[in-house]
Amino acid sequence: MAKVFMSGIRKEFGSTVALSDFTLEIESGELVCLLGPSGCGKTTALRILAGFEKADAGSVTVGGEDITYVPTPKRNFGMVFQEYSLFPNMTGRENVEFALKLRKAGSAERKDTIDRLLEVTGLTPHADKFPHQMSGGQRQRVALARALASNPRVLLLDEPLSALDAKVRDSLREEIRRVQREIGVTTLFVTHDQHEALAIADRVGVMSHGRLEQIDPPRALYEQPDSAFVAGFVGTVNRIPAQVDGDRWRVLNRSVSASQTVDGATLAAIRPEQIAVDVDAAGDDTVREVVFLGPLTRLTVDHGGSTLIADVLTSEFGGATMGDRVRVRLRDDVDAIVLIEG
Amino acid sequence: MKVLRTIFLILLGLYFFVPLLAMARFAFQSVPVVLLTPEKLLEGWSISGLIEVFGNPEFQRATIVSLQLMVLAIVLTLVLLLPLAALVEIRAPQLRTLMTAITLLPWVVPPVALVVGVAATFRNTVPWFLASPYSLVPFYVLWALPFSYRALDAGLRSIGARTLYEAARVMGASTFTIIVRVLVPNMIGAIIAASVLTAALVLGEFAFAALLLKETLPTFMAEFQRSEPRAGMALALAVMLLTALIIWIGVRALRKRGMDLQAAGV
Repeated sequence: MAKVFMSGIRKEFGSTVALSDFTLEIESGELVCLLGPSGCGKTTALRILAGFEKADAGSVTVGGEDITYVPTPKRNFGMVFQEYSLFPNMTGRENVEFALKLRKAGSAERKDTIDRLLEVTGLTPHADKFPHQMSGGQRQRVALARALASNPRVLLLDEPLSALDAKVRDSLREEIRRVQREIGVTTLFVTHDQHEALAIADRVGVMSHGRLEQIDPPRALYEQPDSAFVAGFVGTVNRIPAQVDGDRWRVLNRSVSASQTVDGATLAAIRPEQIAVDVDAAGDDTVREVVFLGPLTRLTVDHGGSTLIADVLTSEFGGATMGDRVRVRLRDDVDAIVLIEG
Repeated sequence: MKVLRTIFLILLGLYFFVPLLAMARFAFQSVPVVLLTPEKLLEGWSISGLIEVFGNPEFQRATIVSLQLMVLAIVLTLVLLLPLAALVEIRAPQLRTLMTAITLLPWVVPPVALVVGVAATFRNTVPWFLASPYSLVPFYVLWALPFSYRALDAGLRSIGARTLYEAARVMGASTFTIIVRVLVPNMIGAIIAASVLTAALVLGEFAFAALLLKETLPTFMAEFQRSEPRAGMALALAVMLLTALIIWIGVRALRKRGMDLQAAGV
């Protein structure tokens, strides 16, 4: 277990700036997700931490030790890749053992560690299969066991769930989290999937154009986005103009306080679940689309020329259909809003 | 359509096999073609000429040289090209197009130009090198490049060499360990394909050996055929069968691994 500190990292590929003044701190035993669209630099950050890429500027320390120039094999990290990376000529058990042999572990220690890891990852029945005989989920579990075999200081996960189908992805995501907590290894998880990031991380760092836009626990990130980009990238958001109302703000005919604001900002970031929709024949707004999502129903509403998205509880929803007149408002329990740049 | 295809295949078969049959008849039947009647079709067949060649010390020398050249060319090909192809795939995949172009060069430059160029360079610096029959090995490695490099490159790509390399690196493996323990065992198919193709080329190559005045199996055969046309033809058939056998063994080995020459990039 070790604290990771990447400081002032800059990386260019030709004329493209992949990372610019990138700073990231991961506490010992913490799981941090880097989230962002493709090309935002998240994978480059992970590859620099792994030692696969050299930073043009900045430093990387792990447990207080500067490892900026330490080659990958000497960093004692574990890594799971997006592509299946098991060695095809070795069984699951041999794959895990390979990592231990490289660390010069004795045969008794190897056996103990392998048995423990195979059990933790639920792989004992599949240990002697070759990778091509395993399902995608099993392969990634072996890859996880292999990554943890040498008791790494840091665990790196590079979109480990992207190649899997939705159901396996969910269960393996929970399993990764459980194993990571159990072992307590400092972990950096890179993904472009916001649901994955919000579900698994202690903190999520949202990246854009080579910079860390915001890093916070999932709920804070969702409820208190620092910028329009973060608000838009994490979850769905309605950007609604807000008018000054004394020291408060007026949004959708309600006076509310601003829990967070950026200088000069006049746009409120309102989540779909913060909007209520009342069916009212005399209302000014029109339903454009109704999507049934089980417990929730998503309504697209035409409001004064702009389009709003509202998620309402199906059980409380009046059953409006396309073209019906409605009235949108902020839900009663919303008393503070987030203002993002105009 | 099916009829057309069958006719085409039959014609193609005739195109290949009629000359071979004619060759075989000429080589193994001692009845002149003008005297050949249906009754004499089975008369006078003998492989004594071929057996006699096998006893010829000059033939034995040339064959041993050719087999040695084949083994050395295969070893040098693998020792040089495998790490090179691995390095390009892992560290500099952007160079792949350039490498493919470079590996085609030996087939663009005619053998005579290659030999003259190399001879002019080495004759003044390391004359002993050109004196040895093994001086052919580098030429053969170059000559087989378009096939051997592509087979190895395709093998590396099909196993996702880059990810395997990085996975092993994180675990603490050295580049040598990765090549020996991870890459080679997973690309045996590609290695077999590269070796078989190199072997087939070496066993049939004439121009380099003739230009450098070396006696290999093909140059011996050309010489021998002038003095002993029948036995020479028999020998040519035997060598062809040997080459076909090597390719067949290679293809079988690939099949066992669920591959074919096409999958090995050839």
